[in-house]
Amino acid sequence: MRLSLIGLGATGSHIARQLSQSSFDELCLHDEVPDTQLKVTKSVKAIARDGLTVTGSDSPSADGADVVVLACPAGSHASMAKTALDAGSHVISLSDDPGEVQSLFGLGDLALRQNRTLTVGAGFAPGLSCILASFVAGRLDHVDVINTYKTGTAGPACARQHHHALKNRGSEWIEGNWVMRSGGSGRDLAWFPDPIGAKDCYRAALADPYVLQRSFPDAARITARMAATRRDRLTSRLPMLRPPHQDGGPGAIRVEVRGRVGGSVKTIIAGAMDHPSVAAAAVAAEVAGMVGAGQAPPGAGGLSAWPDPKAMLTKLRRRGVRVALYRGVLDSDSIGEVV
Amino acid sequence: MLTLVRRVSTALGLAGMIALLFRLRGRGGVPPQSGGWREVSEAELS
Repeated sequence: MRLSLIGLGATGSHIARQLSQSSFDELCLHDEVPDTQLKVTKSVKAIARDGLTVTGSDSPSADGADVVVLACPAGSHASMAKTALDAGSHVISLSDDPGEVQSLFGLGDLALRQNRTLTVGAGFAPGLSCILASFVAGRLDHVDVINTYKTGTAGPACARQHHHALKNRGSEWIEGNWVMRSGGSGRDLAWFPDPIGAKDCYRAALADPYVLQRSFPDAARITARMAATRRDRLTSRLPMLRPPHQDGGPGAIRVEVRGRVGGSVKTIIAGAMDHPSVAAAAVAAEVAGMVGAGQAPPGAGGLSAWPDPKAMLTKLRRRGVRVALYRGVLDSDSIGEVV
Repeated sequence: MLTLVRRVSTALGLAGMIALLFRLRGRGGVPPQSGGWREVSEAELS
């Protein structure tokens, strides 16, 4: 079985390393920067398990690949996904651009016709955030509200997307309608798992609500915010004033789900702290393994639509991604549940 | 002008008195000593 990985930035190179021990027979790596491709291919070859062939590809073509992982900068995922689906490959996209995520969902019919899986948002957020939302929702009879928060970025492309998101309007799902909100508005102080702690979070053009709404269409409210400083907000409308960091970690996500159990209303809060590039890579590698093994549902969907989030979190835990629940002070016996 | 000065000084004086009252009489209470984040164990995921 052949996997084609397109994009070897901070996240893509971690995915390649995570896949070096996978059960695929061939790993084909591509990056638009030849030096990067050469370096990553060489380093992955050095640690690859016996029997795994690692090759570099000069073109982003996914010809002959059973699974294609798109870890390149947002913007070209939808067209590449369409080409790959037409060629009969399963596709895993790590795009976190809301417009692109909607375009990817638009390929759902094609994926179904081809009986292939198109995984939309298999990174940190959306990705791990969606698995956490699904995990927490499993403890409730009915989900009313989902609020996601994130802080930190992966590599430079992710940082640029983060900068871009803060100046643009984001969508919130409110009472059955999409409502557009200005980026940088709606300050909310969110506590992330230690040692990240409290961060001011703001609305932005984030993709999480689009992914989550498809899994929780009956929820009254689905929102997403990201952490930003005063400087981030002040300079969000300008071009990036300095080159982004090679890795913008550590970061964290926090997923707050409010719903009902029996007659009572409960809020359950889950989170994770990790370097976004590392955690996103773990998610993508795990998803690739499951897609390759035929364990993923056909059609386009986010990870919140996948069955058994507990099994997924267990597998991610073995890859080093730890999740936590917030234990409320009002109900200390009921761990992770604030009444 | 004199009226403005008198009003401003009255307002500042009142604000100071209220702040002093809160400072001396207020009971901040004890911050929460329990709660926080707890890692999900593998057993909870099975």
